[in-house]
Amino acid sequence: MTPIAELAAHAKAGELALQRCTACGAVQYPPRELCLSCLADALEWRVSDHEPGKVLATTTLHHSHDPQFRSRLPLRVGLVRLDAGPTTVCFLAEDCGTGTRVVVSAETDDADRAVLTAAPVQAGAR
Amino acid sequence: MMDYGDAVACAPVTVPYVRRSDKAAAWWLGSALRKLLEVSGVKKTQIEGLCLSSFTLAPDGPAPFVQYVGLSPRFLEFLPFGGACGVLALRRAARAVQCCDAEVVACIAGDTNGPTSFQDLVAQFSSFSRDCVWPYGAGGPNQSFALITEHAMRRTGATREDFGKLCVAQRRWAQRNPLALLRSELTLEDYLAARPIAEPLRLFDCVMPCAGADAFLVMHRSRAQALGLPCARILATIERHNAFPEDPIQWRGGWAMDADALWSQAALGPPDMDVVQTYDDYPVISMLQFEDLGFCAKDDGAEFIRRNDFAPGGNLRHNTGGGQLSCGQAGAAGGFLGMVEALRQLAADARHALVSGFGMVNYDRGLCTAAAVLAR
Ligand SMILES: [Zn+2]
Repeated sequence: MTPIAELAAHAKAGELALQRCTACGAVQYPPRELCLSCLADALEWRVSDHEPGKVLATTTLHHSHDPQFRSRLPLRVGLVRLDAGPTTVCFLAEDCGTGTRVVVSAETDDADRAVLTAAPVQAGAR
Repeated sequence: MMDYGDAVACAPVTVPYVRRSDKAAAWWLGSALRKLLEVSGVKKTQIEGLCLSSFTLAPDGPAPFVQYVGLSPRFLEFLPFGGACGVLALRRAARAVQCCDAEVVACIAGDTNGPTSFQDLVAQFSSFSRDCVWPYGAGGPNQSFALITEHAMRRTGATREDFGKLCVAQRRWAQRNPLALLRSELTLEDYLAARPIAEPLRLFDCVMPCAGADAFLVMHRSRAQALGLPCARILATIERHNAFPEDPIQWRGGWAMDADALWSQAALGPPDMDVVQTYDDYPVISMLQFEDLGFCAKDDGAEFIRRNDFAPGGNLRHNTGGGQLSCGQAGAAGGFLGMVEALRQLAADARHALVSGFGMVNYDRGLCTAAAVLAR
């Protein structure tokens, strides 16, 4: 299975999977077949139901190049820096602005692709 | 870095852009080659080298293309680096000429734009972008640059009015350029009130995809003089890919790594530039170039825009053909637009010109940066 297919398989089970290099410990996203740091191919999946992070930037899309999204516009999308290291492109739940502390979770879309969504950390939640 | 000796750039040509084309990319690139021969007097058999840039040439590549147009070069480069390809072509061609790998090198960039060319290109741009950006609304580069713009506005205090000032100034230059596709008057009010595309970006922040080609020649200075061609010397160039990968979001480009080397090799500085051609797929990227190339301090980009006048008659001649924002973005030719415009300005009255490029927005950032300082 390709790394992107594995990401989607985990997402289908409600898991967010990041790659971790067993040789050097680097954590990476988007997934690929080698470690971006030491180039080893000894990668494992670090699986959780969500990853904490912080919103770096946000946009609201009013235009899409793909007709399947047009009925869903406007769409809120952002860049989230995960505490684990990588920057992820995410859909944004309500009340996610730049600087918001979030948790990022994964699911699959209509085309069985993995998609990540960031939601604010709820006060009192672990 | 070693200098470029007597290698010079000359003969800028443009195959006039059109919004849509049913011609293949090879027609645009081959027509640019024909124009190069027409304006220069160089014979086709004398084109010994070719630097080619295109996104829509597939399934053909550079070798099938030279068969298509009947060339037999002994130096052939394919440079699919988008907005950085003009400077990259120049510096490779100049080395080839300087080192006698080719006497005359044609540098050509162009693309067609059929009904779905742009969507197809964006959807399949790279594995990371296809798998980890496209599923998030398929906003394409507008989406990626909206995020970079939002961050830059927070970092510098830049406002929509600041970016609008650049766009409006470029439109005024475009009104003097018959090759620009967008020449109708654009006011700051029009810019601010345009329909939102990917906030904070609105319509006039985004280039219009189109078809077209731009090209120039690189050869020894003595040959250019014998042909009676105005030519530009190459004082310095820089190139960088995937600079600062540890930055969580792109707030600077590779120019920041290499600007000191550029100005040191040129023995000139930003104030010496009579014309400045930045890559302007979105106005925020022009601001990043002003900062990273040393026209102002980092984080001072918004103030720099406020204290300079970029329009015709102003103090800083910037994107004097109207830039991509007013000319249109003919795929890879967008990486040549600043180069051919700089060569035209140097053939007119400019003494020194800066050309800067930025290409290949992949996943969350633009990967390729390049710049050249030219002198008449
Ligand atoms: Zn590693």
